[in-house]
Amino acid sequence: MSEKKKNYGMIIDTRVCVGCSACVYACKAENGVPEGYCRDWVVQETNGEFPKLAMENRSERCQHCDNAPCVTYCPTGASHYDENGTVQINRSICTGCKACMAACPYDARYVHPEGFVDKCSLCKHRIEKGLKTACVSLCPTESLHLVDFDTMTAEDKAMLSGKDVYRQKEHAGTEPSLYWISARNKPGA
Amino acid sequence: MIEGVNEIISTKLNPNVLPHLHIWEWHIPLYLFLGGIAGGLLLITSVMIVMRRHFGIGPKDEGDGCPCGAVRIGSILSPALLGVGMLFLFLDLAHKLYVWAFYTTIQPTSPMSAGSWILIAFFPLAVLQAMVVNRKYLDKLNIDLLNKLIKWTDDHLLKVALLNAHIGVGIGIYTGMLLSFFSARPLWSSSILGMLFLISGISSAAALMLLLAPKDEKHIYSRIDANAIWVELVIVGLFILGGVTGTANSHGAMMHLINGDELMAGMPYMYWFWGVFVVTGLLIPLLVEFLENAGFHLHLPPIAPILVLVGGLVLRFLIVFAGQTYHTFM
Repeated sequence: MSEKKKNYGMIIDTRVCVGCSACVYACKAENGVPEGYCRDWVVQETNGEFPKLAMENRSERCQHCDNAPCVTYCPTGASHYDENGTVQINRSICTGCKACMAACPYDARYVHPEGFVDKCSLCKHRIEKGLKTACVSLCPTESLHLVDFDTMTAEDKAMLSGKDVYRQKEHAGTEPSLYWISARNKPGA
Repeated sequence: MIEGVNEIISTKLNPNVLPHLHIWEWHIPLYLFLGGIAGGLLLITSVMIVMRRHFGIGPKDEGDGCPCGAVRIGSILSPALLGVGMLFLFLDLAHKLYVWAFYTTIQPTSPMSAGSWILIAFFPLAVLQAMVVNRKYLDKLNIDLLNKLIKWTDDHLLKVALLNAHIGVGIGIYTGMLLSFFSARPLWSSSILGMLFLISGISSAAALMLLLAPKDEKHIYSRIDANAIWVELVIVGLFILGGVTGTANSHGAMMHLINGDELMAGMPYMYWFWGVFVVTGLLIPLLVEFLENAGFHLHLPPIAPILVLVGGLVLRFLIVFAGQTYHTFM
């Protein structure tokens, strides 16, 4: 694992997400994701008993885990941690064996039509230039936040201090870098 | 700007993106089955060679140091079947031209990396051993290098056979371990899966050798097979118990397999598991071989070994498919 210079991840405020899929198409356009595939997606989850229902729209993607099973199981080192604290795929040594797909508890990967396995790169090429990811920069409700957890702003810290902040499948021991602010208890839910 | 896009589904419900159902298809179960048989054949033939060479017991010697036909053919089939299995493994790769990448690195935490090297390590000694037991055919070719290799192996045959027996066990266990390390797939995440696939591989290999063996030696392989099936039944029981009494993830995944209505080739998993694998692939052959070994000659066609082979194949397909059609770790 390379020495971390940054520790990027995301905080996703599902309370303001309207499920517009702008993040999906921003990503597809930015990263040339082929038609019929996507690196991120929107999940709409409804909970409760009618008429007291709460809906959560979630923009999901690779969780860029600190203890990523895909990296652990990759037989060639194609899946690897990079210095920005993200998980990347080196296409030039990916055999398309799909061990990483079997290993990922988040189902975050797919086989690109060209054969290699693909997933969200957290717009590595953009964040290296100090830019935000395509999905974050296009989100119309500011639900998505790119965060360097080593240099968090006061606003980032405030978002993470809420009681409804969670990480997905944390008990899998994967140390995911995506944090979610739940919409289940938002006013009116 | 994306031009000309007309996508009905832009969410994860897109079957191209949700990988539950299509990570590994038919290639991998076939590879695991053939790998298991190859490991089992290497183990059994090596043990037979050690028994004959060192203890003077076991299958009769046909002269020129060649043991009986079953050991000779089994020795050839072992690396040959593994080679065919590896071909299926290759066919499953989505990025085939990059297959060399397996062999430019060793990833200590990746079972598949270890496996790719073990598969290569399997061949040299297995092929040398196959050459020695088939030397009466190779000697006729009178190729100097071959003769030297055969002589060297023959001089060290006991060590080579013992090492091969261990490599055979290693390959058998590896075929199960490959899956059992995936904690994200609750059905596969069972440490006993390695033992299950090992014993199933030994049983299938014994069944294959039972088909190949001359009449007066069939009883040897029939007994090996019957004992392997006994052990396999116990391990299947432990595998089920471990799942059913486990966490919600393990329990759900096991019920998905043993009580599941998901279809494989038009039939629910439950019928495949109990009807085809347990009853037809284990219990019926065990009964037939028990009766044969007890002296009740049924004069049946070689139904028991064929059923064992079918059961072994179905087990691999079931485990690989049911492990993927159940949701990931929750």
